[in-house]
Amino acid sequence: MEFIGKAYMTYRLSRWMPVSSRLSMNLVTGQASPAHSGAEVSCEGLGFAYGSRFIFKDVSLAAFNDELIAIIGPTGTGKSTLLRALAHLIPPTTGRVLLEGKEVTKPSPAIALIHQSIATFPWMTALDNVRLALICKGVTKEEATETSEKMLDLVGLKGEEADYPKEMSGGMRQRIAIARALAASPAVLLMDEPFVHLDELTADGLRKEIYSLVFNPETSLRAAVLVSHNLHEVIQLADRVYVMKGSPAVITDEVKIDLRRPRTERDPRFLDYLDQFFNELSVKPTKV
Amino acid sequence: MYFGILIPLATLATVGRIFALIGLSVVTGWLLAYLCIKSRGFENVYVPLVNVLESIPVIGFLPLVLVAFVLSIPGAIGVEAAVDFLVFDAVSWNIWIGAYQAFKTVPEHLLEVSENYNFGFLRRMRYLLIPHSVPRLTSNLFASFADAFFYISVSEVFTAGAATASVCKGGVCSTFGIGTLISRYIVEGNYVGVVYSLISVGVAVVLVTLSLSWLSRWAVAKYGVDTPSVIKRHAGRWRGRIPQPWRRWRALRGQAVGFSRYAWRMRAYWHSHQRPGNHLDHGNLAKYVGYAILACVLGYLVYSSLMLVISVPEGTWYVFLQETPKLLTYVGADYLRVSVITLASLGFAIFVGYFLASHHRIGDALLPPLQAFAAFPAPTYFPLLFIATIPFIERALPFFYTEVYIFILGFLSCFYYVFFDFWIGVQAIPSEFLDVVRNHEVPFWAKMRRVILPASLPYLITGLSSTINSAWAGMAIGEYWPDIAPKVAPGGLQAPFGMMYYITYNMANGAIGPAAYVSLLFAVVVAIYGVVFTRNLMDLARKKYVIEEGIFAA
Repeated sequence: MEFIGKAYMTYRLSRWMPVSSRLSMNLVTGQASPAHSGAEVSCEGLGFAYGSRFIFKDVSLAAFNDELIAIIGPTGTGKSTLLRALAHLIPPTTGRVLLEGKEVTKPSPAIALIHQSIATFPWMTALDNVRLALICKGVTKEEATETSEKMLDLVGLKGEEADYPKEMSGGMRQRIAIARALAASPAVLLMDEPFVHLDELTADGLRKEIYSLVFNPETSLRAAVLVSHNLHEVIQLADRVYVMKGSPAVITDEVKIDLRRPRTERDPRFLDYLDQFFNELSVKPTKV
Repeated sequence: MYFGILIPLATLATVGRIFALIGLSVVTGWLLAYLCIKSRGFENVYVPLVNVLESIPVIGFLPLVLVAFVLSIPGAIGVEAAVDFLVFDAVSWNIWIGAYQAFKTVPEHLLEVSENYNFGFLRRMRYLLIPHSVPRLTSNLFASFADAFFYISVSEVFTAGAATASVCKGGVCSTFGIGTLISRYIVEGNYVGVVYSLISVGVAVVLVTLSLSWLSRWAVAKYGVDTPSVIKRHAGRWRGRIPQPWRRWRALRGQAVGFSRYAWRMRAYWHSHQRPGNHLDHGNLAKYVGYAILACVLGYLVYSSLMLVISVPEGTWYVFLQETPKLLTYVGADYLRVSVITLASLGFAIFVGYFLASHHRIGDALLPPLQAFAAFPAPTYFPLLFIATIPFIERALPFFYTEVYIFILGFLSCFYYVFFDFWIGVQAIPSEFLDVVRNHEVPFWAKMRRVILPASLPYLITGLSSTINSAWAGMAIGEYWPDIAPKVAPGGLQAPFGMMYYITYNMANGAIGPAAYVSLLFAVVVAIYGVVFTRNLMDLARKKYVIEEGIFAA
């Protein structure tokens, strides 16, 4: 009976799924598709709808070990919603999310999300904000404090542990949010426009640090997913880029960024990528 | 008779009385708020005075005022004036503070435009100040309406004892309205009439709640500064104009959240714009009028206090002072009762409120009926509850049953303030914070202690303050209600001791002096409590526990 149920589901989904998505998953066996096997985090045929209106659908993507992938797309395509669905903070309407090959069915500290709006609790010090992530872990207060201090040190906030967020700049607050996300020892970090509220100089400084910060041996992270409007930022940071557009939005392209690090905007190939993404995302004027 | 037109007419009279008085509060609120923004001196006295008066439960000192009205204005007009004054007192503070805050938070660029074009008083009020205050005032109307309905249902008919026997028949003063009608039916043992009256009140409450909901949404959409709401300029298709009840119910939730966010935006703006520049500098007339009114009010207060002290014989003061320790224990006993009621309300608010706020579908279904129930005055249906349960409760708790009923009436009179405020507070927590909590699987108690309660603290304090104030009102009725059900319980409901019992018992028996003295003691205690506790806690909450400040969006 179970087999028949899964087979029927495959049939129903395959009716509207694009060929690429159909190839990348195997709903009958419940395993990650061959294309995504070995991925730290992946999603297959993911869709989200408000009522009957799909925001995005058929989204299949994967982030492998030590890889930072980016998702770009015009405003309103549901990129932030996609990230929240990946973290299972909202249950997807269709499809599923896999973490190390196992289906994610509820929010988990193993997939940490950093919001577009920098969210720090105003009545907690920087240290308490980070320590909040360790409450569920059953660690002692001393261990929690030690780990939190280590994470604050990692993001460059040593000496600011007792300060309240409102006494800090936007960049420092974002570092607290990153430290909090890292303190829970996540395997995957989801970042939703993490630098959008920062001034250019601060954002540039954090961008340079984030890659080494995310994949620092001190952290448990193995993959990261970035959503951004800033194409420069995406090319500077990402190993692969998924382009998402349309209504409902679907993945229309997947581009590997084949540039050596550290990347510079003066590199002609950097500019080629920029042109490519710009062209893909630009609205083409239609002839009347 | 109750099948006829009397019950709807009485309901209409009560609702009409409430809205007329709310209207009067709004108009006077605008004028006083204008004086505040014109005159720093007036503002410096007006704001603390209103804050203190707002925190003093109206029921504590109003019996005296009612008698004063009845004795000084002859006939039915005196009774009507007394009732109207009580309701006006219940609704005005909330509206006055709302109007003042709205006028003080007019965006500076809009003020400059009005100054640029040399707007006078009328134009400034018409085109700038009044429109800007509309969302704030309409969002306050729910609370004002519920308060007014509560008070009017108990004040339309009140016992003032021998002192007013020459004016009111048997010392019982009454005016036409549904409160009077219900009271009359209860005394007559006409329970069918009571039920029909309650149904009529229920219909009125639901209709008014729906109307206020629509009005508030419209006001925020049209007059709100920086709101995402859409202004509806036309009614659309005919089919769309037929309101579906469930849509209406559902809309209330979004509206409550919208208001809370709007109110907090206003509060944030208010705190960041507290500077002398917000005072209008054009023209001196209003400034002088402000000072003149201020001098008159202060002069009157000093004069009347002095006259009161002189008019009471020395021997009477001596007796009062001797009685003071005993009276203070009565105050203490009632504070204990209020504490129990408040704790129960808080527990209900935190657990049920959080459950409904985090389970939207259940919340959507249950909150609108709760909101209508909240606006339904407890004293109108409490006698039925009393009659139905007294045989069992008295048998089960022979020495304690009075306390049970005082608790029930107190709880029904006030639980919803803290409940709705907490619910709105939880709804207003930005989703990013809730995501963080879920993402890190923070356990329930840690989540409540570290996130939910601190995040909703400003709302909780506001709600607790209102709950405590209204608990006094419920207790004032519950501690001495001799004719609650003459046929079932001839002795009625009477507390063995307590300040509210002391006040209402003495008032009913024409002993105005002792009632006035304990009212004075109570007012002093509440004023100290209001200034020391409520304001300090609110200041702390505004300083440290404003969750919106945790979101950084440069």
